[in-house]
Amino acid sequence: MNSADFIALLPLIVPALASVVLLLLITFSRSHAVSVLFTLGSLLLSFLLLFVAGGGTPRRVTPLFIMDAYSLFFIGLLFIAGIVVAVMSSRYLGERSMERGEYYVLLLLATLGASVLAAGSHFASFFAGLEILSVSLYTLIAYRRNDDRGNEAGLKYLILAAASSSFLLFGMALVYAQTGSMDFFQLAEGGRVPDLTVVLSAGLLLITVGVGFKLAVVPFHLWTPDVYEGAPAPVAAFIATSSKGAIFALLMRYFSLMDLQRFPAVWYGIAGIAVASMLIGNLLALRQNNLKRILAYSSIAHMGYLLVAVLAGGTVAKTAVGYYLAAYFATMLGAFGVIAFLSGEEGDAENLEAYRGMAWSRPWTAGVFVAMLLSLAGIPLTAGFIGKFYVVAAGAGAALWIPLIVLVAGSTIGLYYYLRIVAVLYGRVPEGEGGAVTGFPGRVLGMTGGILLTVLTFALLWLGVYPAPLIRILQATVARLVP
Amino acid sequence: MLPKIFFGYFAVVMVVLSLLIVTRKNPVHSVLWMLALFFHIAGLYLFLNAEFLAAVQVILYAGAILVLFLFVVMMLNLKEEVMGERFGKEWPVGISIGAFILVLFFFTINKFSQGPTGQYTIERIKAETHTKAIGSVLYTEFLLPFEIASLILLIAIVGAIVLAKKTK
Repeated sequence: MNSADFIALLPLIVPALASVVLLLLITFSRSHAVSVLFTLGSLLLSFLLLFVAGGGTPRRVTPLFIMDAYSLFFIGLLFIAGIVVAVMSSRYLGERSMERGEYYVLLLLATLGASVLAAGSHFASFFAGLEILSVSLYTLIAYRRNDDRGNEAGLKYLILAAASSSFLLFGMALVYAQTGSMDFFQLAEGGRVPDLTVVLSAGLLLITVGVGFKLAVVPFHLWTPDVYEGAPAPVAAFIATSSKGAIFALLMRYFSLMDLQRFPAVWYGIAGIAVASMLIGNLLALRQNNLKRILAYSSIAHMGYLLVAVLAGGTVAKTAVGYYLAAYFATMLGAFGVIAFLSGEEGDAENLEAYRGMAWSRPWTAGVFVAMLLSLAGIPLTAGFIGKFYVVAAGAGAALWIPLIVLVAGSTIGLYYYLRIVAVLYGRVPEGEGGAVTGFPGRVLGMTGGILLTVLTFALLWLGVYPAPLIRILQATVARLVP
Repeated sequence: MLPKIFFGYFAVVMVVLSLLIVTRKNPVHSVLWMLALFFHIAGLYLFLNAEFLAAVQVILYAGAILVLFLFVVMMLNLKEEVMGERFGKEWPVGISIGAFILVLFFFTINKFSQGPTGQYTIERIKAETHTKAIGSVLYTEFLLPFEIASLILLIAIVGAIVLAKKTK
């Protein structure tokens, strides 16, 4: 490693150091504000350092990391998500008697793990990044220790994540036994992966199980609703966005480097997972009355949509995935943000009925929430629409008719339950409880919440109305991933 | 012939021990059978010219981690669990997943063909010795993931403290 390597790795080194410094800092001062400001400052610094690191790209730092425009884009996205989650958590934790400093240490490290995944180009960095992410999440999910559902969610995630990691590890071992390399770029070289032998396909199958669990695609989705429900709302936002986005970035790099789409078995396997996720995710969301569970099922369906773009392959598909993920990040963070900021000490604001008639007493908050839901549904003028449009365009370019039909059908089903929430928001407050009770108890978003959600809503509308700047960035970064 | 007999012994005993671990009613017995299993795994590592792994397996897993397991099991003082049903209602699901993986591995092993070899062949490891090979790779090429792995331990410590701390 020389100085240029260190400069390229700075965006990863800073959060790692910051987490240790923060750990020392909280031994001196348990002030919540100090922890929050330190976390935000270090994430912002890491984000700015991406531009410094961008000067020397593309650069391979040891066989483990590749710092190219592709990884820098996704790391940037993960840092922004980290900042948003930290802001969301600041009020959430501020009102509860929990250990506050350690939360931010774990949040920083989880963001670091996700970034390691986005920059990983080797099975070793893949696994190390994944474990940093999961081990931090075990604790973060169970952070509401006085809540039984929180403890259940933490335990469920711990056991299932450990089991899926063992599948992943064995899959990696089989792929290594067959190809003799753990380096993605060496695997990409000609002749390493001549055809799909039984051992290689068994290895890929086991890796799919491990990765599928993390992405929460059908049939590895069973943990999702329980964990989202039990985790604190900001942590659920983190699982829905950073954890999945980072794995997706790595998956796409792995796929395009090894050119796995050329094997029919792999292709049909991914297509099957995508179709099942789109259908089952949307269908199961229909009967839920818990907002966090609805968003959990919705995230399963969204991963299915993204896999359609992966199937398509090519430059357009990579732009589509980049755009969709950016839009999905903004939307999911916004939706969970509303829940997090409205949550009181007695529990998260997750019951759909509690929101009945909120639009009449709290029009702006309801408006923000509606914007997020419409974006999830893919209604025009929102970022979600442009994202879905790009995915469909990429799919149509590759003539993926059956997945596309399912995508459209899934989106139509999705429309129903998103609009159902909107209908509840604008619904009539039940008679007889007194007209003065305007539906929603006296929680307001507060300053931080108001600013954060306004910014996210503007980002959402801006991306939906004027997508050209982001598309240009994507074409300069994500689309340049070597095929 | 002799290595084959030894391997056969280790393989069969490991399967039997694993079955004993999951079927015992008393968790302390399970942990003790696990101890025996870890020793056998260490024996298997020796067959693979991996003497460093074998030593680590005995020192860390059999020595440190299992003692921790025993502590936890004794601290929990599982009286009712020992009396109750050993398996939940879902055991057929578990068995069928296990059977599926078994069939998968059966086909995999049958069709196994050696691909291109990696950097460290058996001859090279025999010449260089396993411990030295691991050391030189771990502190040069894989220094970075080694550092990252240390972070995982840090996270685990922080997490354990947060979760175990008494609420005010």
